[in-house]
Amino acid sequence: MTTKPAAAVQTRSSKTNFRQRTAFLRYLVVIVACLLIIFPFYWMVITSLKQPASIGSWPPKLWGFHVTWSSYAQDFIHYTFGNYIFNSVLVAVVSTILILILGSLAGYAIARLPIRGKPFLLIATLVISLFPEIAVVSPLYVIFRQLHWLNSYQALIIPYTAFNLPFAIWIMNNYFLGIPKELEESARMDGASTGTILIKIILPLAVPGMFTAGIFSFVAAWTEFLMALTFNSQNTMRTIPVGIALFGSQFTIPYGNIFSASVVAVVPIIVLVLVFQRWVVSGLTAGAVKG
Amino acid sequence: MREASKPARPFSLERGYARTGYGMLAPALIVIALVTLFPILYSIWMSFNKVALTSSGIHYHFNGLANYGLIFQYGPFWYSLIFTVLYAIITVAVELVLGMLLALVMNYPIRGRGVAMAIMLIPWSLITVISAEMWGYIYNGTYGLLDYLFIHLGLTSQNIVWLGHPNLAIMSIMVADVWKTTPFVALILLAGLQLISPDLYEAAAIDGATSWTIFWKITVPLLTNSLLLSVLFRMLQAFGLFDLPFVLTGGGPGTSTRSIAMLVWDVMFRDFQFGPGAGIAVLTVLVTTVMAVVFIRSFGSDLIGGGKKS
Repeated sequence: MTTKPAAAVQTRSSKTNFRQRTAFLRYLVVIVACLLIIFPFYWMVITSLKQPASIGSWPPKLWGFHVTWSSYAQDFIHYTFGNYIFNSVLVAVVSTILILILGSLAGYAIARLPIRGKPFLLIATLVISLFPEIAVVSPLYVIFRQLHWLNSYQALIIPYTAFNLPFAIWIMNNYFLGIPKELEESARMDGASTGTILIKIILPLAVPGMFTAGIFSFVAAWTEFLMALTFNSQNTMRTIPVGIALFGSQFTIPYGNIFSASVVAVVPIIVLVLVFQRWVVSGLTAGAVKG
Repeated sequence: MREASKPARPFSLERGYARTGYGMLAPALIVIALVTLFPILYSIWMSFNKVALTSSGIHYHFNGLANYGLIFQYGPFWYSLIFTVLYAIITVAVELVLGMLLALVMNYPIRGRGVAMAIMLIPWSLITVISAEMWGYIYNGTYGLLDYLFIHLGLTSQNIVWLGHPNLAIMSIMVADVWKTTPFVALILLAGLQLISPDLYEAAAIDGATSWTIFWKITVPLLTNSLLLSVLFRMLQAFGLFDLPFVLTGGGPGTSTRSIAMLVWDVMFRDFQFGPGAGIAVLTVLVTTVMAVVFIRSFGSDLIGGGKKS
């Protein structure tokens, strides 16, 4: 009788020991993962601040070096990096707006209006959008060449819109489904048209969905490389990824310029993603729920 | 009430709504078809032709299956195909295991989860070209950080040229890929995990189930949708591998890291062989379609069921 509580206490304390150890392991895994993610960024940022001569120094210097902004200045003076930023922003913004307009319309139609083959439409377009870009790059190149569209903004805006539309339709469809039907039905009773209902009642409620679809589309357009490289290779029409990939010559890799340009390209998008983090995560959840 | 007084109206209304519906859907579908389906059909047609690009335009000369004959006898094609398939399978498997580990750990109520999730979003939003340059600098064979680390730890006495040997180069690209995509996979899986009711775990724990059993009997089955989604997305994406080898290795050393997408690009835009290039592109579409169809056939009920439930 007297030993029993003692044994219970002992198992309990070994249990809390075990708990503490697993909790410690959990934190360790997360912290190591985060450090592994952040470290290459740290390395990129400090390299962008080094003098060209010390970038290739051995041993590599992780701290304690002379800070200079000359690489950044060079990006805009020697390389036409300002131009690349303009092209990237224009292409990404316009395609995102187009995606949001077309995607909201299509998403609403699939969610609410009597259309046949809805699941098929959703799945088929989504799978098509996942096809490797290379499958369409070559024919599109030939078509754009005939249309004299090579080195033009539409040569990127249209494909980016098409490739990212299916996911936007998917997200918007899910959002529209989440809005109570009664709202629309009562509006219809009052004689409102589909257009009025969409603009006055549904769209304001679907704004979070548009944030999600918008941020995914924007990031996709901002990071795309293959089509931008193939269709818009002329220096004045390059986007940021193409510009950075083609920095320098065959013999030297100007890491100072590459990384300073990269920091300029990365910081705004990171800020954007962190500001809109909630909606990015809800996009992931939408994918997870609907499979 | 209205139905009772005017029986014909709901029917015509319904048809009117359907018409509006198709009208709202059409612009999106047209854009998608014009940029995906039409070019693929065009590619198929091009692949049966000898294509000559001249300053006056493009000239086609039908030559049947000749391009495909060339492709199938072309050793580099088979190498790129096998390399890409293996690359996709290995990287996706590694990403799933690591991503699952991270997701499981982060599914516990740990402090600073919001910050960790924010950090994990960063690689996803990063331009792949930039991550490739970053890793290229780390892998550099004369002043790279990885060599410094290896020498410092006494793992090697002299610099290793990571991108200079075929196998090392392949592994280096895989590491860069895993670094960029694992956090995203983890976030998708975490989103799925958070939908599983904690009651289920408690009930299982009370019944004396071990963590291992709980993982395989509760977590995995309930996570099927997220798992399938990430596997399909990532497999197709990995099969289109282009940016990383283009920047990191240029497909080298030799052609050891030349993915199928890079091969098509080389054949078309370096050698200007548009016919055979289109042929390889068509075969790529074929392989992807087979992958997607097999996948949806095997697990389609879950995928489409998910769509219907909504």
